[in-house]
Amino acid sequence: MHSAAQADVIFGLSPVWFAGGLFVLTYVLIVTERLNRAIIAMMAAVLMIVSGVLTQQSAMQGVDINTIGLLTGMMIIVGITRESGVFQYLAIRSAKVVKADPWGILVMLVFVTAFLSALLDNVTTVLLIAPITLLITDTLKLSAYPYLFAEIFASNIGGTATLIGDPPNIMIGSATGLTYNDFLFNLAPIAVFILLITLIPLYLIWGRHLKAEPELINKVMLYREIDAIKDWVLLKKSLFVLTLVMLGFILGHDYGLQPATIAMFGAALLLLLHCLPQKQEKQTEMVARALGEVEWITIFFFIGLFIIVYGVESTGLLEILAHQVIELTGGDKTVTAISIMFVSAVASSIVDNIPFVATMIPLIKNMAPTFGGAEELIPIWWSLALGSCLGGNGSLVGASANLIVAGFAERSGQPIRFLPFMLMAFPLMLLSVFISSLYVYFKYF
Amino acid sequence: MKASEVMDPNPTTLKPTDTIECAAQYIMEKRYRNVPVVDDNFCYLGMFGVNCLLKQVIPKSVLMHKGLDNVSFIHESLEDLYQRFDEVKHQPISMCMNQELPPVSPNTPLTETLLQLYETRSSIAVVEKDTCKLLGMISYWDVGEKILNAGEHPNA
Repeated sequence: MHSAAQADVIFGLSPVWFAGGLFVLTYVLIVTERLNRAIIAMMAAVLMIVSGVLTQQSAMQGVDINTIGLLTGMMIIVGITRESGVFQYLAIRSAKVVKADPWGILVMLVFVTAFLSALLDNVTTVLLIAPITLLITDTLKLSAYPYLFAEIFASNIGGTATLIGDPPNIMIGSATGLTYNDFLFNLAPIAVFILLITLIPLYLIWGRHLKAEPELINKVMLYREIDAIKDWVLLKKSLFVLTLVMLGFILGHDYGLQPATIAMFGAALLLLLHCLPQKQEKQTEMVARALGEVEWITIFFFIGLFIIVYGVESTGLLEILAHQVIELTGGDKTVTAISIMFVSAVASSIVDNIPFVATMIPLIKNMAPTFGGAEELIPIWWSLALGSCLGGNGSLVGASANLIVAGFAERSGQPIRFLPFMLMAFPLMLLSVFISSLYVYFKYF
Repeated sequence: MKASEVMDPNPTTLKPTDTIECAAQYIMEKRYRNVPVVDDNFCYLGMFGVNCLLKQVIPKSVLMHKGLDNVSFIHESLEDLYQRFDEVKHQPISMCMNQELPPVSPNTPLTETLLQLYETRSSIAVVEKDTCKLLGMISYWDVGEKILNAGEHPNA
């Protein structure tokens, strides 16, 4: 794997040691959270180039444009769509459908969160749902904790279901060529099952105790969800574009269209429809606002990370690690898949699942010759997706969405503490991974 | 000209232990927008005003960072709002006073003081930097009156 352009010795170290050391240091700095993760990733990426592990040209080859394009495109679409108020409408409507019954609301918010997380990204979903949840629980004079806890789980489980639901799936899909439909048919059924199973302990722990006074329930029933729609024209345009994008994800693969192309087309089309009737100055303002909705920290974190992992990969270190993993599992594909699922789950509950999956992808790719080709790796990819997405539920730091919800809880004066959350969440997460391991075992082996 | 020359040196003050109910009645009666809160040593602690009151009756999920940006679906009565106020009215004003309105020092130039008045849209406390002692208050009316007087009596 050592490229011709790569220096033989870097600061007195072999490229393997230098890149490996830089990679570990990057991980440590990301975990400690003393510095913004985008700064860390960009700095380490530049060091990979400056030190001679990669050239600028080869570094760019490591950046997965499909992942970056898909994330950016969807962020723009969601950013514009949310202005219509449709997400608030959905949340309020779902609460009223169950006649504002406290347990019914929890179940409905779980379904709405999971559904939106499958179609949008988790962070956006909880940013939209958590404030409504706090309003409803405040009105019903109920603790928001069970609701926010359930929504964290729903966002990570829902995100597992589709290619676009969670960044690990986007990366896996892009690296392997697995399509939107592949994810939908292989992961959505188990995600729905896990979601339903998760509701049982939630009911036993909290649900059966949730009660509210009739007059407070009546207050929630007085919310006029239709008034939440701020812009009907924008709503129609957004739903039109979202439908086109979803159809594109489902059908586009047969026409050679990558998810990033579809998402960016959707973003451009919605911008066009949104801005077209406006004057040029207003258009500039609207485009700037829409682009401002993109989480540039996440995007630059991804770019830096791709370069770092590509640098490590180019030294051959991940190939060595892949062989060691295979040795550890005795070359058994089933053991490898299940081990990867559990290791991914535990690792993702402790560290950000994005760098973890970015590292695992080339490592797993290196296992193809041992297991008989790329096709044979498919169950392992599902294991990685299930482990890394569901693992996000293991602790408060397991996923960005968890921290967003915790932030809302803190601001509402009902903080979610790290340890009490983990004591409840980690066993539940392990239960979901255990169910997933049975699913993978019986379906693919 | 400096801040100390346009301030009211004898402002009305509140104590941090005053209840929200008492403070609310006081500012409503006197039609004050903001009243400085000081401790027993006259050290400036923050401001209590109409915004603090509004904050108590609007749902928390609306006012919090990244909270609800659209509340058009909520239709509440005055009784609903009062209920929210009722829950906090016996609490001390220290729990809700605004500590983010920056005071100015007595030597702050007039233009800078006016800019702050314009940007914060609130009366400004004039505070001695080292001791945090409240020296006076500057309101729109004090400044406005002085500017107009300067036009009428140029040499005053």
